[in-house]
Amino acid sequence: MTVAHGRHGAAMGAGAGELIAVVGAVLVAGGYLLAARRLRRRGDAWSPWRDVSFGAGAAGVVWAAMGPLPGGPFTAHMGRHLLVGMAAPLLLVLARPLTLALRGPAPGAARRGLLAMAHSRPVGWLVFPPLAALLDVGGLWVLYRTPLFAGMGHEPWPHALVHAHVLAAGLLFAFAVCRLDPVRRRWGLAVRGATLLAAGAAHAVLAKTLYATAPPGTSFAAGDLRTGSQLMYYGGDLVEAALAAVVAASWYRAAGRAQRRQRRRASADWAYRGCARPADSGVYER
Amino acid sequence: MSTPAHPHPAPGTGGEPRRSMVVCGVIGAAVTAALDEIVFHQILHWHHFYDRSTLGVGLLSDGLLHTAELLALVAGFFLYADLRRRRALAPAHALAGFFLGAGVFQVFDGIVDHKLLRLHQVRYGVDVTPYDWAWNLAGLVLLVVGGVLAVRATRRSETRSVA
Repeated sequence: MTVAHGRHGAAMGAGAGELIAVVGAVLVAGGYLLAARRLRRRGDAWSPWRDVSFGAGAAGVVWAAMGPLPGGPFTAHMGRHLLVGMAAPLLLVLARPLTLALRGPAPGAARRGLLAMAHSRPVGWLVFPPLAALLDVGGLWVLYRTPLFAGMGHEPWPHALVHAHVLAAGLLFAFAVCRLDPVRRRWGLAVRGATLLAAGAAHAVLAKTLYATAPPGTSFAAGDLRTGSQLMYYGGDLVEAALAAVVAASWYRAAGRAQRRQRRRASADWAYRGCARPADSGVYER
Repeated sequence: MSTPAHPHPAPGTGGEPRRSMVVCGVIGAAVTAALDEIVFHQILHWHHFYDRSTLGVGLLSDGLLHTAELLALVAGFFLYADLRRRRALAPAHALAGFFLGAGVFQVFDGIVDHKLLRLHQVRYGVDVTPYDWAWNLAGLVLLVVGGVLAVRATRRSETRSVA
């Protein structure tokens, strides 16, 4: 164990921060499942995979707060960071929580309030992908390249706050890049793709500098530092590839819809002119 | 990469040759970049996870390249799937594009990254000349194969459209 990081998980016992995280995750996941069930009972389609995704994301948060993670202190920290800041947010966002929150409960003040919030100007700016990326990856640079990281290991509350920020920023970033839920401003593919590229590069560069130089004020074993930063590098790759796949898949679906629309319009055009649709030629049979 | 209104390809032209070539070129370049990274960085450890970062710019370029290769791979496969879905894939042009993209990346890495910018070398602590020759010749072979395939594909589609 090193100076900076002696108080994780078991060592710390059930700290207040961990407890709040676990209770919060369980409550939120329970609310999600109830709302999804309500939607299905009403007859709406809601893919069960979304329930699975949300449940897995919440389980990831619980595991990061409670469970033992392998490796030395820095590696375990990095595993927790990957889980809380990247994997869990992606899984939670894939479940389209805002869509469910807007569709699931009965219409009323709560839903109007949520809708007003989702369409408000500050939220619109917050989900501007480059800003979300800056808050997410910029926060990481601040954490590992200032004495913040060394300081937070000694104090339970800053520690809990930092992890809450990592989770919130990860959620915001995944939300902005994936753009699955309805918000005021829908940013296009170029903005989201370029943001993903820049954020991924900044993440990879940070991982590489950590491989060489530990965060200031800490003294991790060299092997631990290397394993941890490699975990950050390759783990980041995995989540980044998954994010890219989500973005690309949404483009693919949108392009397919556009093609079907175009084809329908073309065949409606033929019908309007009183001609037979030239399906026999095979040109339009796609 | 918005969703442009793709015109239906005229029957008999074999889809969209130019787009097929570009899309598969992107995949080819990304595959070569990924192969380079996996084989030489991770398995052989010839040029390592961390050896370019003596220069801040080198480090940044490496991070960008690595991320771009990953995104290009994902984007390329989805664009390829879209071509297939629209039956707009011109297979001969696509294959040529794959080799051309792979060759362009390999030669660019061998000449510009290794020799001009000297970001990293193929291997350290030995005479690097044979490695450089092998690296660049491999790239050249890929380029030539791609070029020959591209010329053949273009000729074939021209004769078909004339006939």
